[in-house]
Amino acid sequence: MTASDTRPARRYRPPGQLGGRGPIGGQAKRRLTIAGFLLPALAILVLFVFWPMLSALRLSFTDASGFGQEEFIGLDNYVEVFSDPNILRAMGNTVLYTVMFTPLAVILALVLAMALNSPRLPLRGMFRTWLFLPFIVSLAVAAFAWQYLLDPQVGLVNYWLQTFGIRIGNVLQDPVLAMPTVVVVAVWKNFAFYMIVFLAGLQDIPSSLYEAAKMDGAGPWSRFRNITLPLLNNTTGFVLIIATIAALQAFDQIYVMTGGGPYRSTQTVVMQIYQSGFKDLELGFASALSYVLLVATLILSLVQFFFTGRREKDTA
Amino acid sequence: MKKLLAATALLAVAGLGLAACSSSDSGDTAGGPVTLTFWHGYTEADGDVLQGIVDDFNASQSEVTIEPEVKTWAVIDDTLLTALSADEGPDIVAMPAERLPVYASKGAFRDLTDFYASDDSNTAELNPQAVDMETVDGTVYGVPTGFVPLAVYYNKALFAAAGVTEFPTTWDEWVAAAEKLTVDENGDGTPEQYGMVLPDHATVANGVWPSLFYGNGGDIVEDGTTAVIDSPENAETLEYWSDAVATKKISPTGVDGVGADELFSSGKVAMTIGGPWMSSIAAENSIDYGIAAIPAGPAEQAASAIGVSMGITAQAGDAEAAAAETFFSYFFEPEVATAWSLGSGWPPLRTDIPAADVESNPTVAALTEISGTSRALLPGVVNSSDVLTEMDVVTQKALAGDDIASLLKDAQTAIQTTLDDQ
Repeated sequence: MTASDTRPARRYRPPGQLGGRGPIGGQAKRRLTIAGFLLPALAILVLFVFWPMLSALRLSFTDASGFGQEEFIGLDNYVEVFSDPNILRAMGNTVLYTVMFTPLAVILALVLAMALNSPRLPLRGMFRTWLFLPFIVSLAVAAFAWQYLLDPQVGLVNYWLQTFGIRIGNVLQDPVLAMPTVVVVAVWKNFAFYMIVFLAGLQDIPSSLYEAAKMDGAGPWSRFRNITLPLLNNTTGFVLIIATIAALQAFDQIYVMTGGGPYRSTQTVVMQIYQSGFKDLELGFASALSYVLLVATLILSLVQFFFTGRREKDTA
Repeated sequence: MKKLLAATALLAVAGLGLAACSSSDSGDTAGGPVTLTFWHGYTEADGDVLQGIVDDFNASQSEVTIEPEVKTWAVIDDTLLTALSADEGPDIVAMPAERLPVYASKGAFRDLTDFYASDDSNTAELNPQAVDMETVDGTVYGVPTGFVPLAVYYNKALFAAAGVTEFPTTWDEWVAAAEKLTVDENGDGTPEQYGMVLPDHATVANGVWPSLFYGNGGDIVEDGTTAVIDSPENAETLEYWSDAVATKKISPTGVDGVGADELFSSGKVAMTIGGPWMSSIAAENSIDYGIAAIPAGPAEQAASAIGVSMGITAQAGDAEAAAAETFFSYFFEPEVATAWSLGSGWPPLRTDIPAADVESNPTVAALTEISGTSRALLPGVVNSSDVLTEMDVVTQKALAGDDIASLLKDAQTAIQTTLDDQ
C-alpha cells in the first residue's frame, strides 16, 4: 500500500485535449504540441532539402565554382544545357534508359508478384526471399559483380554463352549493347522492391471477387484484365512513378559499370551533373542541369499521376 | 501569432544549424607556431615514407607543424570542393597533376610564382617538364611530388619462351616482338596469350595514346589552348596501331588501363604499358619482370608522364602559405628528394640527383634512366578530363575499325570547343 492509492482516481481525458484546461487555451496548446513534434523533421527538411534547393536555384544563375568567386550570368547556364551536344546526348541516354528500364522492371515485378501470390506455388516463402535478395545487395557490390560476370576474358556469362557457340564480346564496351546491359542489371537489382509493393497490392484484393468471376466463367486473362489490373491501379501508378524517378536519376550503378562509356553512350544526366559539378567545378551549370532534371521529373510524375488518377475514376 | 511563433522557432533552429555548419577554423595564430593540414593520397609504402619526411620536418624546427591526412586520390577529388567552399579544407593538398589546372583556374590555389623565384626554394633544379604540369596561363600553382614516364613492363619468362632476347627499340620491332609472343594454341583465332596489351580507353594515367602520338610527332593540345589532334601524324599512328591489333592480333581489344594491369599480372600478356606500381604488382604475382622505355616512334622516343602535384589552397592565410613554402623547400632538399624517390619508387624530381644515388632501388634506377623521355600530359589544360574523354572516343572507335579521318575531325572540333570554354 502506498500513499498514492488513497488519491482519487484521475479523471479520464478524452483524446484531442492534450494537456488543455479549457477549450480555447487547449486548442492553442494542442497546436503548439503538434508544431513541437513537427519541428525537428521540418528543421531537417529545411536544412538539408529546401535550403540546398534554394541555394542551387540561385547558383544556377551564376558561374559559381564553389570557391567564392561567382557572377550573375542570367539564363546562360540554361541556354548551354539545351545547346551543348554532350548534355543533349546525356538527356537522350537518360530517356532511353527510362524507356527500357521502367516497363521491364514494372512488368517483371508484376508477373513475379502474381506468381508469388498464387497459393498453389510451393515454397512461396523461400522464393520470396530469394527473389528479394538482389535488392538488399549493395549497389556497388552488384555492379562490380556483374562487371566481372560480363568480363570478356574471365567472365562466367561469356564462358557459358561460348559453350553454346554464342560470342557477345565485351558488352560493356559495345556502344550498342552497353545501355541494354546496364538496364538489365538495374532491372535485376531493383525489380524486387516493386514486386513487394505489387504483392502487398495483390493481397488487398478480396479473393471473393475472383471466385465470383470464376463462377461467371471468366478465364485467367479476363480475371487479370478485369479484376487484378483495375484494383491494382493505385499500386501500379505508385510503382510506375517511383520506377520512372529512379530511372531518371540513374547514376551509381552505371558509374561503376561503364563510367558513362563507351563514347558517352551510357552517360546519364545525373552523371553529367556529377561531371560538371565535381570534375569541371562548374557548380552553377551543374545546378541548372539539376533543375532541368527536377522539372522534367516533376512533369512526368504529374502526367503519370493524372493518368492513373483518371483511370481510377473511370473504373470507379 | 502562432504562425509567427512557429516560423520564428523554425528559423532559430535552422539558424543554429547553419551557424554550426559555418564554424571557421583558419588556424591563423599570429606569430606563433603554425599547424597545417596536408591531404594526400599516398596510401601504400610511399605513404609511410612521406610520413617519415613530414615527421623529420616537424622535428627539424618549431615554427611549423604539418598534420597529414591520408585519403585516396578519388576521395580527395570528390571532397576538396565541398571542404574548401565550407572553409574546412586542407592548407596543402596533393592531387593527380592533371586535376590541378581546373582547381587553379577556379581560384582554389595560391600563386607560387614568388616562391619559385626565391633562391632558397630548392626549385631551380626541378625537372622543367614536371614544373610545366603546375603552370596555368603562365602562373605556377603547385609543386610536383611525383613525375614518372610511362614505361613498358615485360614478362621475362614469356620473352625467354618465345625466344625474344632483346627488348625492341622501335615500333616495328615492338610489333614484331609482340607477334612472336602472341600464342593461339587451339587455332580458334582468339589467342590464349597476347604479345602486348594496348588499352583503347581510360588507359593508365590516360597516357598510352599521347605517348604513341608523340612518338610519331603528333600531339593533342598545343600551348594549352589549341587543339591539334587532327593531324596526318596522328592519323598514321592510329592506322598503324589499329592495323597491328586488328590483323596481327597482338593485343586483346576493348581493354582499359585497369584491365591491362590485370591481364599482365595474370600472365596473359607479355608486355604492358604502366606506372611504377606495376613492379610491386608483378612481384606479388611472382612475375619475373623487366622495365624498358616505350620504343621510339618514327619521329621520337617519348612517354607521357604520370604526375602528382601539391599546392597551397586559397583557404590558407599568409602565415600558413609561408609555412607551407618552408615545407616545400625542405621537401626538395637533395637528401630529402633522394629519400622520397627511393621510398616512393618514382624517379627523383631534381635533375641533379645522379642515377648512382638511387641504384639501391632497381625500379627507380630503371625509370631514372628513361626519365628523359617524359612529357607532361596536357599541361595547362583546364578541362583536361573532357579533352581526354574525346581522345578516348577517337582511340576506342579507331580500334573498332571506324573511319579515322572523320574521328579526328570530330575530336578536333569537340576539343577546341572545350578549350574555348575554359
